[in-house]
Amino acid sequence: MTEKTTGGGGKYDWFWFLLPALILVVIFFFLPIIITFFISGTNMSTATGFQNWKWIGLKNYQRISSHPETLEHLWLTVKYVAFTLVFFNLGMSLVIALLTTHISRGVGFLFRAVWLLPRITPVVVYVMMWRFIAADAPYGILNQIIIKPLGLKTANWLPMAPFLFIVLVNGFIGASFGMILFSSAIESIPKDLMMASLVDGSSYLQRIRYLIIPHLRWPLLFVTTFQTLSLMTSFEQILVLTDGAYNTEVWALWAYHKALSTYSGNLQWGFGTALAAILVTIGIVMAVIYMRYFKFEELVQEPKIETQ
Amino acid sequence: MKRIFLLLLALMVFPALIFAGGKQEVAKEEGPKEVKIVIRAKGNPTEHWKVDAFDEAVKLLNEELQAEGDNRTVVIEKIFDDASWADVVRSFAMSADAGEAPDIILGGHEHIAVYSTAGYIIPLADSVSEIKKMYPEFDDVIDNLWASCMLHGKVWGVPQDIEARPLYYSIPKLKALGWSNAKIKALPERIKKGEFTLDDMIATAKEAVAKGVVEPGHGYWHRPKRGPDFYQYYFSYGGYFYDPDENKLVIVEDALEKWYAFQRKIVDEGITPENFIGTDWRIWHDTVSHGKALFWNGGSWQWGEWAGIYLKDQGGQEYLFENVGYALQPSGVRGKSGGTLSHPTVYMVTTEKASGRKGRDLAVRLLAKVTTKELNTKHAVESTHIGILKSQANYPPYNKDRFLSDVIYMLDYNYFLPNHVMFSTWEDAVWEGMQAAEIGQRSPQDSTAATIKLLQAELGDALIVK
Repeated sequence: MTEKTTGGGGKYDWFWFLLPALILVVIFFFLPIIITFFISGTNMSTATGFQNWKWIGLKNYQRISSHPETLEHLWLTVKYVAFTLVFFNLGMSLVIALLTTHISRGVGFLFRAVWLLPRITPVVVYVMMWRFIAADAPYGILNQIIIKPLGLKTANWLPMAPFLFIVLVNGFIGASFGMILFSSAIESIPKDLMMASLVDGSSYLQRIRYLIIPHLRWPLLFVTTFQTLSLMTSFEQILVLTDGAYNTEVWALWAYHKALSTYSGNLQWGFGTALAAILVTIGIVMAVIYMRYFKFEELVQEPKIETQ
Repeated sequence: MKRIFLLLLALMVFPALIFAGGKQEVAKEEGPKEVKIVIRAKGNPTEHWKVDAFDEAVKLLNEELQAEGDNRTVVIEKIFDDASWADVVRSFAMSADAGEAPDIILGGHEHIAVYSTAGYIIPLADSVSEIKKMYPEFDDVIDNLWASCMLHGKVWGVPQDIEARPLYYSIPKLKALGWSNAKIKALPERIKKGEFTLDDMIATAKEAVAKGVVEPGHGYWHRPKRGPDFYQYYFSYGGYFYDPDENKLVIVEDALEKWYAFQRKIVDEGITPENFIGTDWRIWHDTVSHGKALFWNGGSWQWGEWAGIYLKDQGGQEYLFENVGYALQPSGVRGKSGGTLSHPTVYMVTTEKASGRKGRDLAVRLLAKVTTKELNTKHAVESTHIGILKSQANYPPYNKDRFLSDVIYMLDYNYFLPNHVMFSTWEDAVWEGMQAAEIGQRSPQDSTAATIKLLQAELGDALIVK
């Protein structure tokens, strides 16, 4: 601690700077992960309590690997993450960001504010709205306003297209995240560049393709990474919407049900945390792949765009 | 290994203690004469007597203690909410492990298995005859209800309420179908004797749809969401849950397949809407209470909800008696009597370790004081639950309630869920299979095979496939 550097600080100053964050990371990230992996090696459940559990090694994982529904839940999760990510968290948010930055600033701002509504509405209220949109005739909004006037056959739409609904419900919330990042990134592209491209004769579409999108590379990569991981572990909207019925039990919801919510009785904390531990592992692997593949270290280097 | 785990847990708890910043409660110096008993129950607003009955009971108990010269006085704290059962189990388990559980917890009788295995609750007696001798109030409990409180030969709970899950039917719709008053009146008896089966019900409902008496898909409505009510069809076809000798759960393949086939058939025959599971409760209540369906399965407690909420403006119970009939759940096998699934809620007494308080004897004694015809009837009448005491049958405030008196016979034909630790896993699997069969995602046969495979994977040795 006595050795001084030219900066005037101590050799271990970095440590003291990092300490507050380090404590938080250890307590709220590392320890829960370690505990998750630990509990996943036990038979802990409501019936054993926290006192009478036994160490069972990898049995929970063996049970998962031989479970007849493992592949089903896994495939559903992959599909759910991919569709929501591509069509909404990236696709829809990019479209909204592009549209609202190509109209008058005030209107664009208002439009984006509207898109924030799903995110700021409490989940239960928001999902209840969807339930009433989809509800069977004579109640559902969809049935009353569109299907019946057109003389088509009414239905209870949620079980008809459960996958579509879980993607829509999550997508409409998720879209606002990318929308904010993308539109602020578009706004920060130097105006002279934007003007110059039009003066040089490019169409709006060409400008998007050759100027705006390349400038959005980083936010796009960030949103992809962040939202993949977040979608993989998200389940609360699905919980309220279908509670996993009609084949909508994504992996995270499966873990939740096993560990924390059975209809009556025994909560299998050991098995549930084993399911969660697999999700954590996949998340870590995905994060590493994204960071390597997308060269995240370049993100923290000099800004690519000169500020005016 | 446990040490490491405890260390990790301690590390987790450590910051919580820091942030709690001295909020830690200092152990209260309670007077030697005051014994605190905390009671936790859940229920809808009409079921508030589940805890409120203790106000009266504690007075009676304290009077008795005083008369006996006992220097203890009981004070109670009531916790009542409308949480889901899963939330109740979760929060109770956490509090019991922390030594902060209530002294008396109300739960479904099947919770006994989990709570007792975890060591959260105490056995109240070693046999039914013993508990009946403990207090005269317990002797008044309808005998077969004790079966739902038993595990490993011991009594773990005291029944609080019970219900039946009748088959309801619309009287005007049956009349429109050409049924005479006498025929309608005889229906409950025919179901009881096994003369009117599930197949007859389907045929009648189909006829009603064909003749335009009800709208398509309104011939028969089951419960719209998950619940134990569906197991009644499994039972109707000869299924059962549990082998007490082996202490194992049971799945009867043939009954399971017939049950799943029933769920699909009602949709195929057009008497239940396609994709009906998941319909909002409000829509369901509104439809059935206003007689827009011919047959429907519900709970006896829903009678009160319909009268008090959905039919308040049409005359409540009076309207219901004119328009709605009720019977046992029909059998799937001709000649076999109908039945009903009852799900008694029971009071359990937590261990000293789980509650962090002494005075178990007083908690049990308080339960006796609450198990009286006066107090239980208040709950039964307000929430339309069936009485649990023999004396209620002749107790005017109870038997003047026409509906409750009418349905009490159903308890002679009831059955219970098993008190088995892994029953919720059994439930998860059969529910999933049932949904797949009803919405047509899998055929009843395929769904049966998938369910059995899943049950075997999940339950292993704890399951017997018949």
